[in-house]
Order: sequence, then C-alpha cells, then structure tokens
Amino acid sequence: MDADKDNANPTILNPSDLPSRRRSTPAAKRPGIFDALAPAYPRLAEPPSSPEPSSASSDSDPDSDREEIDSQEIYDLISTISDPEHPLSLGSLGVVTISDIRITPPPSPRSRISTVTVLVTPTTSACSLTTVIGLGIKVRLMNALPPRFRVDVRIKEGTSRTADEVNKQLADKERVAAAMENLSLVGVVRTMLATCE
Amino acid sequence: MGHYNILKSVQEDEEMSDIELYLFEVDKNKDEAQRIAAQSVSRLEAKTLKLIDLITSLEPYINDKDDGSIRAKTVTYLADVLSSLPARVLSGQERRLLCDFILGRIEGDAEGIGASARALTALEGMGKWDVATIQNVMRTFIENTHPLRQYKLQTERYALVQLIDLLLAKYRDALRQLHESDHEFMPGFISYFEGEKDPRNLMIIFSLLQVPMTEWDIHANAQDLFDSVFNYFPITFKPPPDDPYGITAQDLKDRLRDCIAANSDFAPYAFPQLLDKLDSTSMNTKRDVLHTIQACVVGYEAKTINLYSVTLWDALKFEILNVQEEDLAVESLKALGLIAAKFAESAEGPLNAYLRPIIKECNEHLEDAPTKQSEAAGRILHALASSAPAVADKIAKGILPVLFSLYNGSQSITKRRGLLEALNEIVAAYVKLDEVRPDLNVEALQAFASDALEAMIRALLHAPRAEVSFRLASLKGLSQLVSIRKALSEKETERAVDAITNIVLHEQIEGHGNIRAQAIEALTGVAHSVPLVVRDRSVPAFMVELPDEPSDVSAQAPVLEAFAYLSTERQVFDTVVLRLKNKYGSARHQEAPKTYQRSLLLALLYAFTFGAPMQEDGITRSTYYTEYAEPLLTDIASSGQGELEHSTLDVIGRIVNVLFRPQGAHFQSTVYNKNLQWLSSAVKDKAEAVSLAPFTLQYYAAIRPEVVDAEDLVSVLKAQSHLARQTTSDPGAIGTVLRHISLLVNKFVNPKTMQATLEASNIEVGALLSGTPAPQAIGAAFAVVKGLLIQGKSGALATRYLQALLELLASEGKDVGRHFATLLAPDDILSKENHCLVSGLYKQKIFNQAVPFMIEAVRTADTSIKPNYLIALSGILRWLPYSVIEPSLQSLIAPLLQTLDLNEPGEQEVKASALIIFESLLMHDPTVVAEHTASLVTRLLNSTTGPANNASVRAKALQCLALAPRQLKREAVVPYRRQVVKKLQACLDDTKRSVRTEAVKCRTAWLGLDEGNDDDE
Repeated sequence: MDADKDNANPTILNPSDLPSRRRSTPAAKRPGIFDALAPAYPRLAEPPSSPEPSSASSDSDPDSDREEIDSQEIYDLISTISDPEHPLSLGSLGVVTISDIRITPPPSPRSRISTVTVLVTPTTSACSLTTVIGLGIKVRLMNALPPRFRVDVRIKEGTSRTADEVNKQLADKERVAAAMENLSLVGVVRTMLATCE
Repeated sequence: MGHYNILKSVQEDEEMSDIELYLFEVDKNKDEAQRIAAQSVSRLEAKTLKLIDLITSLEPYINDKDDGSIRAKTVTYLADVLSSLPARVLSGQERRLLCDFILGRIEGDAEGIGASARALTALEGMGKWDVATIQNVMRTFIENTHPLRQYKLQTERYALVQLIDLLLAKYRDALRQLHESDHEFMPGFISYFEGEKDPRNLMIIFSLLQVPMTEWDIHANAQDLFDSVFNYFPITFKPPPDDPYGITAQDLKDRLRDCIAANSDFAPYAFPQLLDKLDSTSMNTKRDVLHTIQACVVGYEAKTINLYSVTLWDALKFEILNVQEEDLAVESLKALGLIAAKFAESAEGPLNAYLRPIIKECNEHLEDAPTKQSEAAGRILHALASSAPAVADKIAKGILPVLFSLYNGSQSITKRRGLLEALNEIVAAYVKLDEVRPDLNVEALQAFASDALEAMIRALLHAPRAEVSFRLASLKGLSQLVSIRKALSEKETERAVDAITNIVLHEQIEGHGNIRAQAIEALTGVAHSVPLVVRDRSVPAFMVELPDEPSDVSAQAPVLEAFAYLSTERQVFDTVVLRLKNKYGSARHQEAPKTYQRSLLLALLYAFTFGAPMQEDGITRSTYYTEYAEPLLTDIASSGQGELEHSTLDVIGRIVNVLFRPQGAHFQSTVYNKNLQWLSSAVKDKAEAVSLAPFTLQYYAAIRPEVVDAEDLVSVLKAQSHLARQTTSDPGAIGTVLRHISLLVNKFVNPKTMQATLEASNIEVGALLSGTPAPQAIGAAFAVVKGLLIQGKSGALATRYLQALLELLASEGKDVGRHFATLLAPDDILSKENHCLVSGLYKQKIFNQAVPFMIEAVRTADTSIKPNYLIALSGILRWLPYSVIEPSLQSLIAPLLQTLDLNEPGEQEVKASALIIFESLLMHDPTVVAEHTASLVTRLLNSTTGPANNASVRAKALQCLALAPRQLKREAVVPYRRQVVKKLQACLDDTKRSVRTEAVKCRTAWLGLDEGNDDDE
C-alpha cells in the first residue's frame, strides 16, 4: 500500500518544535499558579454606581488595541490542513513553515489591499500532489481571511520539479475556479480541510 | 388422536391418575399442569403414591405407538416430578432403576430427549453417581442423540448440553477414563456439538470443552477439537435488542478465546490460521486475532511458542511499523511483550532466538532516525524490555552499543533527538521494572549510563534553545535515569539534579524554547526518587534566588512558583513549607516589600492547598496548624491596625482556614476559646473590624458550627450587620462583610429560631426592605437570603424573603436586578468543607420560585422596567446547570431573545450568559429553537460586531451561530446562508484574534452548507 505513495516515509517534525502562539506569549502575561488561590471576588453586589460607559468599556474590552493578523495566525490557519496522502498535518510534515509566510502591507496609502504569500515545500521534489496541496491552502485562506487580503500561494523555489507549472495554475483565478468545479478535486480538498478547526 | 385417547380413558375411569390429568392440561394450561406434577410430588413424599405405581401409570403413554408427542409429554411429566422431588424421598435403588429406565428409553426413542436429560439431571442431584453410571449416561447420549443439531428446539438442546456440562464438571476422572479406554469416544464427542448456533448453548459448550482441552491427553484429536471451536472464529454475533439472556458478543469471544488457548497441541493449527486472519480488512477481526494470540502465548507452553516466535514477530511488527489503528499497535506490542516474558521464565536459548532478529531490525531502523519506523522501534523495544529484567538486559546489550555509536557518529540534532527518544523508551522500561522487580539487574544500562548522562546534560545546557524536542527528550531522559536505583553513581545523580535545577532557576527564555514548566515537573518527579539530593542541592539553590529583601519583586515570582510546586511531592513537602515560613519571617522582620511578603504567603497557601502535607487519619496533621497558622494569628493579634494590608490578611485567613477546618471539634474549641478574647476586643473597634474583615471571614468559615455558642453568635452577627449598613466603607470591605453575613446565617444560626435571631441582629429582611430601602440594606437582605436559600432548612421564610426581593424589581432600578446574580454565584465560603449547610436541591428550588415569576413579568412589564427583569433572570440562569433549565426551555426562549437586544456596556455579562444558554440549547435541544430560527440568526448576527458587544460576547455569538447549520434542519438554515456568509466577512477582520478564530470556524460551518447542495444535485 505504501509503495503507491510518492514518499512513504517522510520526516515528521515533533509537535513541540512547531511554532505556536501560546508558547510565544511572554511569561509575564500568563497567569501564575498562585492567581487562583486568592481570587478577587466579582463585585456583583456593587454595580457601577453611576454609568460610566467610556471607562467601563475600555476596562473590560480594550478594543482599541487591535491584534493584527500576523504570520503565526496564517500559520495556524493552514498548518492543520491534512496532507492528501499521509494522515498528518502540513505543519508536522514541514510543508508549510512560519518562515515561509509573508504578509506585505498595502503598497500605497490609498490601497487597502495586503498580500499574504505562502511558500509551499513539497515532501519530495517529485510529489505529484503538490497542486492539490497548494489549492487546499489557497481555498482555506480565501475563506478565512477578510477580503482586503490577496492570497498568493507558490511552490518554494528549488523544491519541486514541476514548480513553474504549479505556480502558474495556482495564480490563475480562472483555473482555480475551474478546479473547484471538479467534484473529485473538491472532495479531496474537503477531506484535507476537514481537520481544520 | 392423542386427545381422543385421553378422553376415552376419562370416560372409562372415574378416578384419573396424575399423568392423565397432566396430559389433559399440559397444552391448555401450563400452570395447572405444573400443579398436577407438584401434587404427584407431595403424594410421593407422603408415601400415598408409590414410585412403582407412578411408573406403571405412565406405561400406556410413554410407550404410545402412534403419537410421539404423547410420549414426549409423558417424559416431561416425569422430569417435572423428579425436578421438584426432595433428595431423600427416593432410595438409591429406586434412583438406579429410574436412571436405567430413562437411559433404556433413549436407546429406542428420542422423543422428549430434553426432558430425559432434565430427569437425569434431577436424579444426579439426589445423589452422586458411580463411575459406571456416569460413563453409561455419557455414552448413551453421545451414541443415541448424535448429532445434537437434529433437535430443532433450542430448549431441548440446552437441556442436553447442561447435562453433559454437569457430568464434565463433577466427574472428570470417570470421563477421562472413558476417553482413555475408548479411542472411538472422542471423535463422536467432538462432532456431537457440530453446527450449534444458539449463543446460550454455545456459552456452555465452549465452557465444557475446556475440560478435555486442558485436562486430557487429546494429542491425537487436537486438530478436530481445535477445528470444532475455531469454526466459530471470529465471533460476529450481535445480540437482538432487548435480549433477555444478556449474552454479549464479548462473552462468547472470551470463552472461545479460552478454548483456543487451552492446549499447546493446538499451536500448529492456531497460529497459521490466526496469522492468516490478521490480514483481514476488518479491524474487529484483527482485534480478536490479537487478543487470541495474546491468550495463546500465555496459555501454551514455552517450548511450543518457541517454534512460532519469529513467525509471530514477522507478522505482528507490521501492525506497529505501519499503524492502521492505534489500539491494534498497542495490542501487538502487548503480544510481543508476552512472548518475551514467557521465555524469560524458562531457558535462555528461545529468548535469544526470539530477540536476535528484533534487535537486528530495530538497530536498522535506528540508523535512519527519526522516522516513523525508528519511533516504532522505540515502542517495540519498550514493550519487550518492560516484560522482564532478563529481556531488558538483553535489549540493552543489543541496542545501546549501536545507539551510542550512531549518536556519536552524527552531528545532526534531529538525528540525535530521534536516538535519544528511542533510548528513553528503553530506560522507561527499566523505570517500570525498577518499581516492581527487586531482581532487576541494571549492569547493562549502567555500562552506558555515563554516556547517556553526558549526552543529555550537554544537550540540555548547550543545544540551541530553539531545539525544544531535543532538550525535552534530554530532560525526560535525565529524570528517568535518576529514578532508577543504582543506574547512576551518587556524583552523577547530583549532576543530573543540578542540571535540571539550573534550568528551573536560571533559564529565562521568552516564547519558543522555554522548557521551564517541564523542568519543574521533572524536578518534582526527581524529588520523589532522590529526595535527599533535592533537599541538599536544589533547595539551597532556590534559597539563594529568594533573598529576604529583594530589589525586584517580579523577578522572584517564577522561582517562588517553582518552589511552591515542589511541595506536591510529599518527600520534600516539609522542607518546602519550613523554608517558606522562615523566609516569610525574615521578609516581614526586614520589612521587605508587601507584595513580596504576600507572595511568600501565597506560596505557603499553595503548598497547603495543592501540595502533599502529611496526614493523620485522612486529615492534614494538626501540628501544621500549630506550627504554621498559629504564629500568623499571633502576629495579627500583636500588629497595629492597618499594619497588614487587606490582601495579606486575606491570604493569612486562607492559610488558617485550610489548616484549621479539617481539625476535630475538640481541637477547634480549644483554639477558638484561646482566640476569642483578643478577637472580640479587636472587632469592637469599627475601623479595626473593617480592616480585619478578610481574615475573620476565613477564620469563621473554618469553624465547626458546634464550637460557637449562640450568645457569641448574635453579637458577631450584630457587629457584621452594623458594618454592612455603613455608608462610608469601601465596596470591597462591604462585599467581605456581606459574605460573612451569609456564612453566619447559613452555618451558625439555628433554623428553628432563625427569624428571631435575624431580628435580634437587625437583619430581618422584611424590616430591611421596608419603606425606601437604602442600597446597603438591599445588599444585606440579599446576603441573608443567599445564606438561607443554600441552607434549605428555613423553607417558608426563604420563600417569603425571595418574594420580597422579586417585588423590588418593579420599583427599584437595574441595580437590584444585578443583585440576583449574587444568589447563586459560586462561593468558596459557603461550602461543605467549611461545614456549611448546602442543600442538594437549592438551585432547583430557586429556579422554581423565581423564574416563572420573572418570565411572566417580562411578558407583561412596561418597556422601561423590562430590562430589570431580564437582568435578574439572567443572574439566576447564569449559574444553573442546563438540566435544571431544560424542562422550561420553551417559555425561556422569548425572554432570552430579548436579552440579546440589551446593548448597554454594563449588560455584557447578561448577554454572554444568554448566549451560553443558547449554545447549550443548540447542542442538546435544537428542535426547541427551530421555530425561532429567523429571530435567533438575526440576533446572533447582531451580536457578532462591536462596539455594542465586547470581545467575549462577539466570540460566543459566533460559536452559537456556528452550531446552527450543524444542529438545525438544512432547509431551515439554507435561506440565511448568503446573508450570514457575507456578514461574517466583517468578523474575519475583527480587532481581536480570538473573535477572528471563531469567525473562521463559524464561516466554515456555513460555507459547508453549500457542499451538501452539490452532493444533492
């Protein structure tokens, strides 16, 4: 059965070596183990004596500090996509890495359009499913990012023999749309994306 | 025709015999027939009927030439009579005669065979049989009723099988002699049961066959005997719904497995066929095969297993190297381990022959580490080495030299990590064995322990910090090596402990690469196996990092947390708390920053709450109270007012509470009376009372109700009520005082004199709420009612008071509405641990008393006061388990939907709690909301955007909205798809990441609706 796969025994990254936002949060912001011991009781009995909407809203919900979409967020969106031939995630196979995700801000102050570029590293240079993987990533990001982002998925240079051909296909809106009309392809992509939260 | 015969005899004979009556009734009225049989029994007992006469009376029917069913029914009558006949009624001779009579019948006539078997079973029950009878019975049945399947009725076969089972269970020697003296017996016996399909019969057959299988020499019949049971493999039986017999497929599987594993002579047939079935595509079959192989390995002799060990390895390894299902891999590993364990008990040759190819192959996989295969090799080595010390020794000798030469021959960290993980698997097996096998010889491991230690320490201290998995593998390896007795020298152990301590204390890495948490865990584990080393080396190192007077308090926090965490290991608990106490003493003495002092107290509290203090009779030792809590109390008593901050007093109170509350009434009473004087004089002063409030609350929470006498109580309650009604105190202090009132009302006031006591203490709720109550009075009223409701002993009073509070909603503002959330809010003071009265039904009661009133009020109230009710309702619902709400969902939906329209900033909590209820609703009872789909979807969408909704409301609304397409009917939600998908695009750009994450999930769920559409077309 394994003989049919392009790469039957790929190297698997250990989950603890994958980038994650939880681990990269500074320790100072994380709750300490003593915090729950002497909780400050919610003063339900003492509601704000006079309505102070401005201070109340900034206390409970500092919406003013915007958390920008960053490459870790993009990584979290696509690293959990399953590889079409191994029951493993693209993140653990190293097909997508955080360093190969780039967010380019709008080119001019008048434009709102940012660009997300994802470089894909196939598990072998002859991997025949590269296009499908690229398509899956593209579909996932188009559905999950706000419309002010342009999504650019490409094969990392020098990692695939068919890179040019695949890049051309992935960049072509018409061809992506046509591919998503193909029921069997839609099925494969759906299975790949099924493991995304 | 039968009936005709009987009727004729009825006419001929005035006095009918019992058999005649029985035959007359048996088809029409079973109970009557039974009664007639019972009548014969009593007549035999009373000697008014002789056995010989009874038998004679049967003659015409039991030999009826024309009608088999009459013959069968007659035997049934005989069986019914014999089955209820007491043992002493028949003489030995009579029993022998009867036995011969029945056996003689069987040879010529198989009618009523089940009844014959029952009759014989009954006779056997009246007295043991001799060898000749036993053999005769067995032979008669096997020769005359073969094969069993000729009888169509399950009940008949069942009776036969039961008789044979009885014989095999009780007369093993006689039947074994029969087998040994007659070689023709066994083939007939084996084929006798062929074709049986009923699970009830099979359960017995599988069980009775085990007698010959395990006890007799069946070498010559092994294949037939094996095939007779293996034909049933794998069991695919599914019990019918409402099966009254309760036999499951698992019951059959278990018995069948015991048969297959019963005799080593089965091995030549069992293993090839089982391995053949291991290639099945059915996971259940594979599961059965693996369980059966395990049973065979345990059941067969070592010399038999030896013939198949390498074949088994070659087959089983695929389940581990290419995992199809994780449980199959686990079962295969277990089987491999059982084989090794089998050989470890016997000769060395078979073990070597078995392990040689395994070691060779695992070494090959390690060369390519890390791969799936090298990981699998690690698991295999672990499973084998854990099976017995002798196996671990051989694995270590065969693998470690190769592993370390590969390790030293490569510079790749990835490769070294893979090798280290495999090494850890082997060492982990040693750890397991070390706990249970005193005969463990660690020499083979010792030979490489120094190499391993060096490699791990180097990795831990010098590898790039980003190589997290490599360093974690080293950390795990070190703590494992330390925990195996004698694996490391004393010096080596110290170096390992130092290395781990070093990371805990000195490594400061933000973000990726931080392994402190795991290091703390490892150090705590190490403290279990080498407490002395940790005490002598790690603890002093911690103390160096915890000065008496730190300049930067925040730098100490992580060290202190780690130190407190060590207390979860009992071996070092006393050391940790003692050091913390001394450190607090010096910090207080040298006037270190207040936050630092408080942190030290929190560390103590953590240790006593989550750590592992010594216990006596299941409770924390009282000496901890004397040594740790008492000095803190003395300190408070001798301090000036305001010297200790509220937050510090709170922590001290909690330490006192946790150590004091488990102690018995006698101990508590002594302590209470000792403190009574200074405490009551201290709280006489109002300012002092307010400043001590956080401590006194915790202190009173710890005390058993019987310790405080009623007079003291009223004065304390009075004092608290006085404080609660002060207008000047700060809200935090008032909150504490109100909780104190709830506690006192709940725990100490006698329910019988409740109202009088409340009046005496100036907190009778009717009085508090009369006229235009002040906010302080309302707060006090809620505190009293809370104590009463949770107690559940003053039902009428509590109901009256609650009603009074509900009526306030019509006149007072939203503030009263918000108070309702306090009634059910979780409260760690009013708990059983604090000896409070906590009724099991109080939530249900409050729901019943308040919620219908509120729903009705929301429906009829003026729009200006409607929010009061919505807020109050949410305050109640927020804390109720879904099961309490569930029966009233229908009437709650309208108010809950209106709650989602509340848009003021102060009402976010109210909205969030409504959303949580909608979430449960969509999960558990989607049909209830189905008819409100339109308004629910619209309101949820409105709740997904700012600024009227805060981030947690937005996220929760998206979670609810994501459930709709999954939980509601497709046609109900499809019309909203376009609108939702479009509106959610904005949420994908929310300012908060947590909201965006939910938006992606939600949008994916709604986009998914389209896919179903494609499938339909």
